[in-house]
Formats: sequence, C-alpha cells, structure tokens
Amino acid sequence: MTQPAVKTKSPVTAHPWTSATIAVLVFAAIWFTLYVPIYASATPKVGDFPFFYFYLMIYMPVTGIVLWIVYLLQKRLRTPASPSGEGGTSEVTR
Amino acid sequence: MSHVNYTVFTIVLVLFLIVTLAGFAAARWRRADNMLHLNEWGLGGRGFGTFIGWFLIGGDLYTAYTFVAVPSAVFLAGAVSGFFAVSYTIMVFPIALIFMPRLWSVSRVHNYVTPADFIRGRYGSRSLALATALTGILALLPYIALQLVGIQAVLTVMGVGTTSTNTWVKDLPLIIAFLVLAIFTAVSGLRAPTMIAFIKDTLIYVMIIVAVLYIPTRLGGWGHIFAAGEAKMTAINPKTNKPTGVFIPTSGNSQLAFATLSLGSACALFCYPHAITATLATKRRDVIKRNMALLPIYSIMLGFIALLGYMAIADKTTAANVKGPGKGNGQLAVPYLFQHMFPSWFTGIAFAAIVIGALVPAAIMSIAAANLFTRNIFKEFFKPDASPRLETRVSQGASFVVKLGALLFAVELPKTFSINLQLLGGIWILQTFPALVIGLFTRWLDRYALLCGWLGGMIFGTIAAYRTSNPTTSHWAASTDIEFGHTMYIGLSALVLNLAISVVLTLIVRAVRVPQGADETLPHQYTADPEQAPAPVPAGVGTEPAVGG
Repeated sequence: MTQPAVKTKSPVTAHPWTSATIAVLVFAAIWFTLYVPIYASATPKVGDFPFFYFYLMIYMPVTGIVLWIVYLLQKRLRTPASPSGEGGTSEVTR
Repeated sequence: MSHVNYTVFTIVLVLFLIVTLAGFAAARWRRADNMLHLNEWGLGGRGFGTFIGWFLIGGDLYTAYTFVAVPSAVFLAGAVSGFFAVSYTIMVFPIALIFMPRLWSVSRVHNYVTPADFIRGRYGSRSLALATALTGILALLPYIALQLVGIQAVLTVMGVGTTSTNTWVKDLPLIIAFLVLAIFTAVSGLRAPTMIAFIKDTLIYVMIIVAVLYIPTRLGGWGHIFAAGEAKMTAINPKTNKPTGVFIPTSGNSQLAFATLSLGSACALFCYPHAITATLATKRRDVIKRNMALLPIYSIMLGFIALLGYMAIADKTTAANVKGPGKGNGQLAVPYLFQHMFPSWFTGIAFAAIVIGALVPAAIMSIAAANLFTRNIFKEFFKPDASPRLETRVSQGASFVVKLGALLFAVELPKTFSINLQLLGGIWILQTFPALVIGLFTRWLDRYALLCGWLGGMIFGTIAAYRTSNPTTSHWAASTDIEFGHTMYIGLSALVLNLAISVVLTLIVRAVRVPQGADETLPHQYTADPEQAPAPVPAGVGTEPAVGG
C-alpha cells in the first residue's frame, strides 16, 4: 500500500463535472436503446423506414460519437502535472 | 455434386487459399524473440494498436453465425428474436467501456491471459477460477460449432458436398476447411486470425454495401421490403393462431423481451473468453476506449445484415427456396438471397466472405478455450511448475482438440442441437458476470457465495431453457420465458437469481467470519497503463512470482 500514496486526489474528485458528464453520457447511451417504448412505433416514417428501424440504425453512429466524446473527456481526467500520472511503469515487475 | 456453380466455387476456393497462405505467413508477422510464450501465441504479443485492434475485435465479435443467424431470425420471427441484435450491439459498447479498461489494466500488470486468471488472483479461489474456466470452455464449444454451421449453410446452397448418406463423406469440404484452420491456428496463434480479419472485413464490407445498395432496387425499394416483412410478421400462423412474429414490439411483453434480450446479451458478450482474448491483445488502455467508440461502425453493418432477413421475405424466389423440400431452414435465407440476386462472380465473393468470416472467430475462440484449459486447468491442477514453453505447447495442442470437438458437434449432431447449446452458452457465460465484472470494482462479494450463485444461475438457466416450448418444438424452443407474468431473457433472470444468492450468502459468510482468500491485486492496478507488457519469463524457467505454487 505504499505506491498509491503518491496520488493525493482521485481523478473523480479532482474533476467532478467532467466525471459526471462521462457518467451521464455512458448511461444515456445505454438507456435510450434499453427503454424500448421511446422508439417502438411505425410512425413517423423516415423515408421508407418505419421509425423503429430508423431509430436503431441511426443510433449506432450516435453511440460511436458519444463514446468518442467520453474518451476525450476521460483524457482530461488525467492530472496533467506528472507525465506518469497513472502509475507509469512503476508497478511492472522491475 | 448435383448443380455446382463453378464460377462461385472457384472464387470461394481461391479466396480460401489466399486466406490459408495469410494464416501461415502470420507466424512471421511482428515476430518476437521468444515465441514460445502464451503472451505471444495466445495474445499476439499483446501489442496491437487501435487500427489492428479494431479489425481483430470486430472480426472476433461479428461471426459468420451472426451473418447467417441474425437475418435468419429476422426472416423467421422479425424484431424481438432477430432485430434485437442491433440494440444489443449498440448497448454492448457503453457497457464494455465501463469495465473492459479495468480488466485490461489489471491483466496487463499481473500478466493474466484469461478471465479465470483474474478471478484466481482477485479472490484467491481455485474453485471459482475453475468454474469460470469450465463455463468459458463449455460456452465456446457450441459457438465454434456454429461457425461451422454457417459454413455448412453456404456449402449447401453452393451444392458442394456429396450426396452420400455418410455424414463424414458428405461434409468432406467442411472437414478439409476446418483442418486447414486448425493447423494454421496451432502454428501462428492469435496472429493468424488477426491477419485474416483484414481480408474478412474487406470482403464483408464490400458484400454488405453492394447488397444494401443493389438488392432494394431489384425488390422495388425499401418500402416494399418493409411492407413484405410486416405482412409476414402480422399474418396469423395457422399452427399457433398467433401472429408469425413481431414487426415492431408495441406490446409491453414484447418490449420487455426485446430489452432484456439486448441487455443480457450485451452483458454476456464481453464475458466470453474470446472477446477478452482479443481485448487483452491490445497495446494500450486507450486502444480499448477508442475501439469502443469505433466498433459501432461495425454495428451499422450488422443492422443492414439483419435487414437482409426482410429482403429474403420480399424476394419470393428466396422465400420459396428456403421452404424447399428437405430444407425448411431459415439459415439458408441469406445464401439463397445472394444466389438469386447477384451474378455468380459476386455470389462467390459474398459466400467467401461468410466462410472466411467463420474462420476468424473460430480461431480466436479455440485459442481462448485452449488458454483457459492450459492456464486454469492444466497448470493449476496438474503441473503448477509448467514453464511458459510447456504452456504454449499445451495450448497449441488444446486448440486443435477443441476444434476437433466442435467439428464433431457440427457434423455428427443435428444442427438444432448446436443452436440450442449456443443459446445455453449465452445463458451460462452470463453467470460469470458477477465474479468477473463486479469483481473488477469491488471485492465485497465472497468467493464461496459467488460460487453458489454461479451454480444456482447455471442450474436455473439450463432448466428454464429446457422447459421452453412452442407448438412445433417441445424443448429448447426460445431464449425467453415467463417469470412472474413477464416475458424475459432467461439469461438475465438467471443472473438476477445468481446475484441474489451471492449477496445473501456473502452477508451470511461475513456474519460467521469465514476467512477470505488473498487478493493479489491493488486498487491502482485497475487504472494502470504500463507501456510495456510484463516481461515474459524466460522459457524454461517457470518461476512466476505470483502463481508459483
């Protein structure tokens, strides 16, 4: 238990807003496909696609974009001060 | 060899030969000094970046069976049992983003190769690790067999295979394809499927883009395709007096079934050892995070593949062919659709894409199963001082045996048996979720409690799946059943039971102060991002500090 003492603050407490945004984005990405009643209808038709099918097809690229934003936000969580902020190589066997 | 189309056959054969060469050549790709180590054979050197990782993980998760079975399910029953796969492959990436980076980090620090390695280290429990390993192997076997079923569907439509009544003679082409696969996997390890994944994905993308742009023009547009699908799904089936399928899940029960199937399958996917194998083969923690954002591109393709099922309904010739004498098999929907819609040369490319699409996941699955056997059964219980060299040799042999077992499944047993077992496999693998995924965040759950929960979930899930029936099938008819008046995915109900048992028993075990196993992991190791993979122990020494006894 000696090594982790280097870090005084966890990334979550250091960046509460960023962390909260990440959590909201990830859970929203899951929720809006999990909760079927929002999109289980034939109308409005988009082109020839019933809404149900259109929604799920369009949801996939949206998930990709949302998760990429999450990835960028997570990069900001790392404390910029020390280059080896995440433990670096210290815990490798040597 | 009744009516083989030789153009199609030649193209498939040529592409198969190219892939075989690539598989053997892969042994020399990114060659390491010491290849006789599971990090090399079983994880491709743990050094793949974002680009290669995308092909590897994507090629691993979207199997030939997906290309054949998802549209087949849409063709037969519409949204709930078929199109849910789209919702599932959306959900899987945010869910995996929550826990996979942690698994990657802790596995990197401690040199874990399999999920059971992690459970052994986290809970200090050999029995829980054994349970995880056995579940993994058990779930992977029918999954590999189903890749063969995918190839079989293509071969059937191609007219390849003799008319002999002896199943082994009849399936000779399949057996040859599989032996080739088994040999280059044993030789090249994870590098082989990784390299082939490039070819596979290129072919699949070409096939799908062409299919999506071209087939609707032949069938009178998307409007007509959806109308045909809706007409079939809402038509009353004379056998059951119920609609044939569900076009859009509007009733509460069908929505719940849709949602629980998606959620359960999404939670299960990254518990599968082959998904973990592909993830652990990546170089950096960021590679996984980036790929969780990039892999949904693959799901877009899956969405269109699923819609091929409706195209097969809209095309009368295909629909009639599938129902043809002695067939009646939804698996043939996509191969027949392609055969009827495309000129022979493009049908050849499309069929090759499906066949090659089967080889990549089959290879990774057999490697994952072999690693489980070597690390968590052979080394743990029979030869604790096995050197990395011996481990690699055992894994190479085991991957061969696993594939032979799958071949036996596919050739000897009726197709429905493999499909039922695959259904069960999903339910089973989900029962490792508490120990694996919750274990990545907290060690509060007790090892014995988890073991009992796992057992309870396994037994409940198996019995519940056995008892599902419909008017045409008496057992193993569905992956959903009715719990307390709600239609739910069996895997998820079993998981709830599993968690309930685990929590209650943990409270009891804590109250009577049963000693807990040692935890060799430290909190910061779950977010670590070491540049270098742990230094491989020199071959022949076999003194890994953490596991050695």
